[in-house]
Amino acid sequence: MNRPCNSMEPRVMDDDMLKLAVGDQGPQEEAGQLAKQEGILFKDVLSLQLDFRNILRIDNLWQFENLRKLQLDNNIIEKIEGLENLAHLVWLDLSFNNIETIEGLDTLVNLEDLSLFNNRISKIDSLDALVKLQVLSLGNNRIDNMMNIIYLRRFKCLRTLSLSRNPISEAEDYKMFICAYLPDLVYLDYRRIDDHTKKLAEAKHQYSIDELKHRENLMQAQLEDEQARREELEKHKTAFVEHLNGSFLFDSMYAEDSEGNKLSYLPGVGELLETYKDKFVIICVNIFEYGLKQQEKRKTELDTFSECVHEAIQENQEQGKRKIAKFEEKHLSSLSAIREESELRNIEKMILECSADISELFDALMTLEMQLVEQLEETINMFERNIVDMVGLFIENVQSLMAQCRDLENHHHEKLLEISISTLEKIVEGDLGEDLPNDLRAGHFQKFNYVEASGTF
Amino acid sequence: MEVLREKVEEEEEAEREEAAERAEWARMEKMMRPVEVRKEENTLKQETLRDLEKKLSEIQITVSAELPAFTKDTIDISKLPVSYKTNTPKEEHLLQVADNFSCQYSHLCPDRVPLFLHPLNECEVPKFVSTTLRPTLMPYPELYNWDSCAQFVSDFLTMVPLPDPLKPPSHLYSSTTVLKYQKGNCFDFSTLLCSMLIGSGYDAYCVNGYGSLDLCHMDLTREVCPLTVKPKETIKKEEKVLPKKYTIKPPRDLCSRFEQEQEVKKQQEIRAQEKKRLREEEERLMEAEKAKPDALHGLRVHSWVLVLSGKREVPENFFIDPFTGHSYSTQDEHFLGIESLWNHKNYWINMQDCWNCCKDLIFDLGDPVRWEYMLLGTDKSQLSLTEEDDSGINDEDDVENLVSLSSSRRPQLTVSTAFETRCPNGKKVIQYKRAKLEKWAPYLNSNGLVSRLTTYEDLQCTNILEIKEWYQNREDMLELKHINKTTDLKTDYFKPGHPQALRVHSYKSMQPEMDRVIEFYETARVDGLMKREETPRTMTEYYQGRPDFLSYRHASFGPRVKKLTLSSAESNPRPIVKITERFFRNPAKPAEEDVAERVFLVAEERIQLRYHCREDHITASKREFLRRTEVDSKGNKIIMTPDMCISFEVEPMEHTKKLLYQYEAMMHLKREEKLSRHQVWESELEVLEILKLREEEEAAHTLTISIYDTKRNEKSKEYREAMERMMHEEHLRQVETQLDYLAPFLAQLPPGEKLTRWQAVRLKDECLSDFKQRLINKANLIQARFEKETQELQKKQQWYQENQVTLTPEDEDLYLSYCSQAMFRIRILEQRLNRHKELAPLKYLALEEKLYKDPRLGELQKIFA
Repeated sequence: MNRPCNSMEPRVMDDDMLKLAVGDQGPQEEAGQLAKQEGILFKDVLSLQLDFRNILRIDNLWQFENLRKLQLDNNIIEKIEGLENLAHLVWLDLSFNNIETIEGLDTLVNLEDLSLFNNRISKIDSLDALVKLQVLSLGNNRIDNMMNIIYLRRFKCLRTLSLSRNPISEAEDYKMFICAYLPDLVYLDYRRIDDHTKKLAEAKHQYSIDELKHRENLMQAQLEDEQARREELEKHKTAFVEHLNGSFLFDSMYAEDSEGNKLSYLPGVGELLETYKDKFVIICVNIFEYGLKQQEKRKTELDTFSECVHEAIQENQEQGKRKIAKFEEKHLSSLSAIREESELRNIEKMILECSADISELFDALMTLEMQLVEQLEETINMFERNIVDMVGLFIENVQSLMAQCRDLENHHHEKLLEISISTLEKIVEGDLGEDLPNDLRAGHFQKFNYVEASGTF
Repeated sequence: MEVLREKVEEEEEAEREEAAERAEWARMEKMMRPVEVRKEENTLKQETLRDLEKKLSEIQITVSAELPAFTKDTIDISKLPVSYKTNTPKEEHLLQVADNFSCQYSHLCPDRVPLFLHPLNECEVPKFVSTTLRPTLMPYPELYNWDSCAQFVSDFLTMVPLPDPLKPPSHLYSSTTVLKYQKGNCFDFSTLLCSMLIGSGYDAYCVNGYGSLDLCHMDLTREVCPLTVKPKETIKKEEKVLPKKYTIKPPRDLCSRFEQEQEVKKQQEIRAQEKKRLREEEERLMEAEKAKPDALHGLRVHSWVLVLSGKREVPENFFIDPFTGHSYSTQDEHFLGIESLWNHKNYWINMQDCWNCCKDLIFDLGDPVRWEYMLLGTDKSQLSLTEEDDSGINDEDDVENLVSLSSSRRPQLTVSTAFETRCPNGKKVIQYKRAKLEKWAPYLNSNGLVSRLTTYEDLQCTNILEIKEWYQNREDMLELKHINKTTDLKTDYFKPGHPQALRVHSYKSMQPEMDRVIEFYETARVDGLMKREETPRTMTEYYQGRPDFLSYRHASFGPRVKKLTLSSAESNPRPIVKITERFFRNPAKPAEEDVAERVFLVAEERIQLRYHCREDHITASKREFLRRTEVDSKGNKIIMTPDMCISFEVEPMEHTKKLLYQYEAMMHLKREEKLSRHQVWESELEVLEILKLREEEEAAHTLTISIYDTKRNEKSKEYREAMERMMHEEHLRQVETQLDYLAPFLAQLPPGEKLTRWQAVRLKDECLSDFKQRLINKANLIQARFEKETQELQKKQQWYQENQVTLTPEDEDLYLSYCSQAMFRIRILEQRLNRHKELAPLKYLALEEKLYKDPRLGELQKIFA
């Protein structure tokens, strides 16, 4: 390519290379001596520079967990890989390489500065994870579609962008387009965008941008709606009454019942069904509201419980802290006394005293701990009892409401049976004529079939 | 002569009063006097009576000697409005009604003192008391509430005792006069205060009654000064937190209850003894403080103000003593009885028994059994409508609004510039129990002092306990200076706005490096310093709201090392022994990396660190660095060894064990230490600077003047005057430009007629020719002067040429200077002439143009149109 060291063999990122680099770039002078003495762990390294090394493949970087800044510019890298572990990375420089597609950056959520200058990238893509991106350099690449700009709209923090010497930068509308579609941008191609240009651009592309915004807003609203609904459902689920604030249960009961649906064509059944449904839904709603109320109660109970527990622990800790502070004071004075003492026997005596103090402290703290455990146990038992009572009451009440539902169902069933039988009789008598659907009529001649249909409830 | 005669009169009056008094003593058996009097009366012997007489006469004499300044002839009645000097027919009618009422009253209640209904005013005209009240709302927003009103009245007027302490005065001056002379007796005080209160919407009444000696003489020496009373700490209602359901049970108490009880008992005994002793002491003190019994108790006439509840959200009836401006409950024992009360609409007589002071009085003025009203038809008398006949007043259906009508003739009260001066001559002294309060008007003292409270240790006021001085309008924002004489501690309090953001400065001496505490307005400071405490050897600073979370810095100093350097002018800071710094928790850092306290033991070359405690932990990490640099056996400098850093970690971590980490931490701390030492040094410098500044401010004590204070603010005054002058000039110029050029010509024509065309043309021609003539005249004038000047110059030159030989050098100089002046004049005249020649045609054309456009010569346009 355009690199002077083109003739060199590609090199592998092995341990030696990394160690050498780390040692070179680590602390200098006195601290350097210390560092050499101890050796540096890769995970302590914050910044690493690996430029002009003819690296073909990124590798062996998984140890650098805390790396903040990584420079891999001026190599012959063809694929972005092996960066998954560097989650703390803030600055990544991959300029002057042979990369063709953007990939492998999905874990770098903290990245703020990304340089892919002078590569072979033709599409801006796969950057969704980089929500904190502020600086993006994509100059001297092969990006040729303006629509790539619209992709960049999702980066709310993006302030600096460089796209010069790409096919799209040849377009006459290039600058205006970017200014219009990325209004928060401050620097474009190493220059500050002046307000005048911004205004002009906005005026020029107003319609399309408005449309775009509208679409985005719609999407946003939809997402929020969805979110709200999910939350609501979640809330109901925690109260164990999901799908009870409407006719869901009733509908689901009838959903799989084709026979019953057929029956509703019988005269009088429709009305019956309507009233049945109304009543049923009312009970459902009752259950629902009751469930929510109970949930609220349980929640306050839980809150008070956790508050009290928290208070107790806090109190206990305070006591412990006081004890420790007292001990420390004493300890310090005795330590200094030991230091000043010259007679060995005395020193030994003092040390003995000290250890006695320590064991005393240990005892005191253990007592506190045990006391806390006892107290908490008692409280937890009480809480458990209360919650069990509450849940029992809730279940009982819901069961009674469900029993009402069942009564309703039985009642409905009886009525239905009555109607069916009378209808059957009429059919037998031949009174009933054309106003029944054919398929129903076909089956009506078999009484057996009929009763069975109504018995499915 | 007049004064003499007056004295005689007064003496005569006194005698008469005594006689009346004596008669009254006999009649006192029934009621309307407080019980004490009656008791006294029962045991009254001839001797005591004589004593009383004597005392009375004495009082008379002292009073008349005291009062020469405020008698009638010192009052300039010439400037008062006519309504003060005469009575309207309506007022006459009202007076008749009042007389009638008074007659009936004295007939029905012969044992009561005559009513105080229509005293004479300053013009010797009898006026009904209700008409003397003039409801006025003052334009000062400070005077909208009753307390400030009362305070104002008590400050503004000088108290003059009643001429006769047992009788209402014979004269009641209008409030206008009272305000003007800033003097008055209790009736004047309460009339003025009542006017102001009614004006600002209170349901207020003037009361004529009986008060205690202290009250009547405005004797506050047995009152505790309200400024010394510490505001009672509002006892916080301990909200009894309901024990929550799951509150843990406390651990079992294993102490003996019996022993505890015994202990409590013992302590209670001790306490009881202590209390007893204290009480005895207190009683002894009280005994000493108690007033001598007053022989005239219950007879001293006083006037005060009653404010009834209802209006202006007043929740309860209360009295205001106009002398002191304090409010009292209606149950207060200083007020011994009420004869009558009035407001601007009506007059009521108290028909209730006052044997128990005013404690049993019911202030329901609508109740005709308790309160006898004089005029019908005011809002308070609705209740009595059915009993109208019994009330003894039958003939004033038409008098209803007499009072309001007649009083509306009086001018509104005004408090002019004197409002700011407050006290007469700008100064007032009030003596309280163990305290003296002095007040000055703002700007009266050049150092801004407005009031001073001196508190004494003893009742005789000899040993000063402490002095408090309040200041106003000071440029250094000093608000209060508090000097404690026993400890010699001075405390200055500042308002926000001091250049060094001072809030409180307490000190014993202004020398640096002594005990002092300086508090700051920390929000006004960049470094967030709240407080700096100094002792001779330490300095402690408290901070708040700093980005580095520093909250406390304590530095202790060693003794100053004597330097033998030549440059003695250089400051020689004390060596710092130890610096302790504490930090608030920085929520951005994990607790084990967030330093809570660091101690730089400068002398021992050690640095101690204590970290914050993590949540759910009870121990915190610690680290200690030995800063000493040592050399190993080979002579190499040891950079870092493991024993140079002793650390205790709650949760040991790998990277902190490394020497590199420790080395870096130590380097960082070294830098920090240097910075902290620098900070301490800077703080010392700042203290010096503050002390210097304070001294300068104390010496200069300049006062600020608000830009809204139009009277005092010289700058704005100048500016305003300049503006006014400019406006005036501008106005003059406008008038000039609007000089009517047509007026002299129009004057020749008959006025009011429309000009005919011919007339208009002629007028125009005349005007123009006149103008032309004037221009020519002007040109001629200039020309003439020019010629004259030239001629003179020529003459002079001739003269010079003739006498050139004989001239002295002085003459020659004279001549030369004349020549140059003359040449200058000539040149100027020439220029003016040229300019005139240039401008004249233009001016002529301009006038012509103007004339065409002049509406009065509209006819002209028609011709040309």
